[in-house]
Amino acid sequence: MSEHGLPPKSSIKRWLVTTNHKDIGILYILTSLFFLIFGGTLALLIRLQLWTSGEFILSGSAFGQAVTAHGLVMVFFFLSPFAFGFANYIVPLQIGADDLAFPRLNALSYWLYLFAGLLFLISFFQGGSLEAGWTMYAPLNLPTYMPNPGASTVVGALLMFVASVTVSTINFVVTIHQMKADGLSLWNLPMFTWSILLTVWMMLIAFAALGAALLILGADHVLDTVYFTEVEGGSLLWAHLFWFFGHPEVYIVFFPALGVMLETFQTFTGRRLIGRKWVILAMILVTLQSFLVWMHHMFLTTINLEIKTLMMAMTIGISLPFDLIVFAMIYTLIKGRIRWTTPFLFNFGALVLFIIGGITGVFLGAIVLDYEFRGTYWVVAHFHYVMVAGGTALFGGLYYWWPKITGKMYDEYLGKMHFGAYFVGFNLLYFAMFMSWEMPRRVFTYHTGFEAYNQMATIGGFILGASFLIMFYNFYQSWYRGPVADGNPWEYSRTAEWATDSPPPLENWEGIPNYEKGFLEFVDRPEGLTDGGHGEDHHDRHPDHASIWPLTISLTTFIGLAGLMLWGEHIVYNTLFIVGLFATLVAAVGFAREDFYAPMPDWGARWPFEGIHKNKFGMWIFLASDIVIFGAFIGAYIFIRWGYGWEAWQTIPPEALPGLVNTFVLLTSSFTVILALVYAQRGNQKGLVASLIATFGLATLFLVIKSWEWNYLLPEAETLPEATIALFTFDWDPLIGTEGPALDASIQHSTYYVTTGLHAIHILIGMIALGYLAIRAYHGAYLDDEQPVENVGLYWHFVDIAWVFLFPLFYIL
Amino acid sequence: MRWASDRLAQVGEFVVPLSHAPGDEWRTQASVFEEIYFIFLALGTAVGIVVIGYMLYNGWKYSASKGTTELDDPPVLGELPRGEGGGKKLFLSFGISAVIVITLIVWSYSALIYAEQGPEEFEDNMVVEVEGYTFGWDFIYENGETSTNTLVVPEDHVVTLEVTSRDVWHTFGVTELRIKADSIPGQTATTWFIADEQGIYLAECFELCGAGHSFMEADVIVVSEETFEEMYDEFTETGSFPDPPDDLEER
Ligand code: HEM
Ligand SMILES: [Cu+2]
Ligand SMILES: [Cu+2]
Repeated sequence: MSEHGLPPKSSIKRWLVTTNHKDIGILYILTSLFFLIFGGTLALLIRLQLWTSGEFILSGSAFGQAVTAHGLVMVFFFLSPFAFGFANYIVPLQIGADDLAFPRLNALSYWLYLFAGLLFLISFFQGGSLEAGWTMYAPLNLPTYMPNPGASTVVGALLMFVASVTVSTINFVVTIHQMKADGLSLWNLPMFTWSILLTVWMMLIAFAALGAALLILGADHVLDTVYFTEVEGGSLLWAHLFWFFGHPEVYIVFFPALGVMLETFQTFTGRRLIGRKWVILAMILVTLQSFLVWMHHMFLTTINLEIKTLMMAMTIGISLPFDLIVFAMIYTLIKGRIRWTTPFLFNFGALVLFIIGGITGVFLGAIVLDYEFRGTYWVVAHFHYVMVAGGTALFGGLYYWWPKITGKMYDEYLGKMHFGAYFVGFNLLYFAMFMSWEMPRRVFTYHTGFEAYNQMATIGGFILGASFLIMFYNFYQSWYRGPVADGNPWEYSRTAEWATDSPPPLENWEGIPNYEKGFLEFVDRPEGLTDGGHGEDHHDRHPDHASIWPLTISLTTFIGLAGLMLWGEHIVYNTLFIVGLFATLVAAVGFAREDFYAPMPDWGARWPFEGIHKNKFGMWIFLASDIVIFGAFIGAYIFIRWGYGWEAWQTIPPEALPGLVNTFVLLTSSFTVILALVYAQRGNQKGLVASLIATFGLATLFLVIKSWEWNYLLPEAETLPEATIALFTFDWDPLIGTEGPALDASIQHSTYYVTTGLHAIHILIGMIALGYLAIRAYHGAYLDDEQPVENVGLYWHFVDIAWVFLFPLFYIL
Repeated sequence: MRWASDRLAQVGEFVVPLSHAPGDEWRTQASVFEEIYFIFLALGTAVGIVVIGYMLYNGWKYSASKGTTELDDPPVLGELPRGEGGGKKLFLSFGISAVIVITLIVWSYSALIYAEQGPEEFEDNMVVEVEGYTFGWDFIYENGETSTNTLVVPEDHVVTLEVTSRDVWHTFGVTELRIKADSIPGQTATTWFIADEQGIYLAECFELCGAGHSFMEADVIVVSEETFEEMYDEFTETGSFPDPPDDLEER
């Protein structure tokens, strides 16, 4: 069978170059299971350590690293990617699409995720990893208090993970909004797809906030800025940034699991969901509210009673929609024909666990109780009951979709054994934690009296761990010897993924899925696909499914970040950074130049995003996350300055004039970039090239003024050329000398340089894109397709507008 | 069982004095916590059993293996998703659960106000600054002297703690007394307690603060009023507390 340039599945090469959503889904699932084993091993180490109350196998520092890595690995590198393995595989099938909107970006997300995980692993071999807990509270997360070099690497790994999530988010938002089959409106989306849609909208905002927090943390690590050591609010700043991300994150990991539960409850009861529209509305409500409760994680800090009360009210508010969802699932059982298959056992079990997790969460919502539970095993037990309930549902999902993905049936008996051991182990493990709730968490020795509970938990943990041996054995047997599963092995399934072969062909369908008559039909493909009348003329061309660039970019980024995070520790790291940086640039150009054809369907239910090209839509989504990043930086500045005393604060630039000039320079460049678009539309090549060059020139002028200003502020560099060279060769020594003002001189310096530096990096990236456009335009590109010019223009306007906010904040007020 | 009947008895008193007009009989944080915890636990367990029991019952009743139910309108592959009726029941149970949750939390709120404000009008309210550091606790008394890892207080007295940190984020907590406050650099969190029984209590750190977090403990020594006076005098003179009486119980 021709796979359109894609090597066969038996070839390793296929898995390195594939951009197909089903392949990527499988890669996600396999990789996440690897991290499950890693995180699980750490958990068992922790449990072994806690077998006795004395010291045992781990030192205090090793225990801290194990707890931290366990939390981060399980939440970031196992749970979410596991769910997104299914999202990758199933969502396009459920909406009747051939693939995601940006297949290459999808591959990029995967490889960024994998390499982020590898970077995390490397940190253990660099003289100690992070040991600040998965919440990474400041200032313990800084080298001053926790000098393990690997900790900086972890920050880099998490940043890379955020990049992966952002790329993936953009992809899913565009895909779900724009690639649904005809007649499949938003309202009609299957529940799993709904849950993923809401998840990615939350991720878009939450992960941008985490990204900003990590960028600032990274600056504190690499550039020695002093954000989080600032006594007037540094610690609280981190807590706010982290939990603004952290609370939605709870739903981000749980929603996909909820989606699986809602699907399997319907399939295995043979009933449709009770109160479907209310369930959807409840989920939308949770999505919105998730950003308004973060301070319930900070009840013991110094925030005042009014705010605590507000947060408490919001917290009750957000628990209520979940009540409704739970009852909807329970009522769906009634009058059904319930088949107790393995997927249903896991999902039913997940609901039981979630109910227990939810009830114990209400305890935490009552502030007086939270005061006592905070920092104890109550919290540990509660969030495992919630999050690992999510994991439970997802394991059910793995059994549910296994026949679809592999075309083979697994063994029911072994599946049920897995569930039995899992469920018993789970409750032994985590219920024991409730019973030992008076024990502080994250301790590696405790007072006698808790021993029985801890041993019960440890035994449960090992049973839970062992249950997975059954699962892996079952899947192994099934893969090699299992009976063949047909397209739809489950009675009463409804969603479209079951209406194609198991596994589905490369492009999923024979005909085109269509729901216009109220049920799924396949209509004939029109001759030659076009991309939705967006001006590309590719009749007869077949979509591409292979590209080497996503892997390459991720590898080079990995190298660069590994070097950057330990810049200055050793010449090796400096070299790695420089090599990685340039290689990434080259790879990015390779990616941009590759002629990769991924057409959008001509049809489909797209409301309310009908008339917008996918690239532009994607750019808007990206900018939305960038707005959150700048918002977080500006918020951090205001928060710190407020704590310091607004009036007592000295602005760093001694004069506003250079900044004012720069404002005009940028505004002019916004104008020239519009000119470029106009010329492109008119087919005027000279005008196009000239305006692109003009924009590039103005951007250069901006940076020259900026570096002059930096030089002027940083007396170590004697001359402007010296400062500029230092800036561009990343030789910070003349800039950050031992004397005089520098990034670490004061919190004022830190906020000023870091925030304007973030903006300058945006300018640099814009310049690379502009330069690339100019060269291509010179060779005749964009005259009949001005999309790229328009999208880069959008980005450029955004960078200009960001400056319009920064200028008054940092120069005038 | 003893524990439960004690709690129940407390709840009896509790219904009335929740409004706690200051000046009434003072209640320790511990007793406030115990009562609320007990109610939550009792109701939470009941709700959990009812809901999960109901799930299991339906799971059993409508199990396909029993073969009793026939689906009247079974879903078919490829149909557009739609919901099934049953909204009334859904909203009824949702309403009930909402009422339970809201009542519980709002009811606990009055106790929160009490816990937050503390018995302010109490005479000679004693204030101790608590400063966390890696890895220990300094207690700075009103006489300006510092005691490390030992907090001595008189029985039946309101003690206000002003908690801060010298380096990283810690959390000061004494489980038996049911008090806790974050110890954050640059911030001062306040809490209070009344210890109504003499003894040696254990203060621990509840926020990961580094390799020594597990060992970051202090003694909270509660002695009689007179003993405290004596000990405090010596503390003021010498800068360190003398040993407490031998017969104090560990709690
Ligand atoms: C989906 C699976 C899981 C997730 C998402 C998860 C998540 C977490 C998180 C976020 C933490 C907090 C780390 C921190 O304090 O910074 C944690 C701690 C912990 N987890 Fe898990 N976990 C999972 C599975 C497990 C398993 C299978 C076990 C036991 C075998 C386990 C045992 C523990 C223990 C003992 C702690 C340390 C508690 C403490 O000392 O504070 N977890 N987990
Ligand atoms: Cu939260
Ligand atoms: Cu600590």
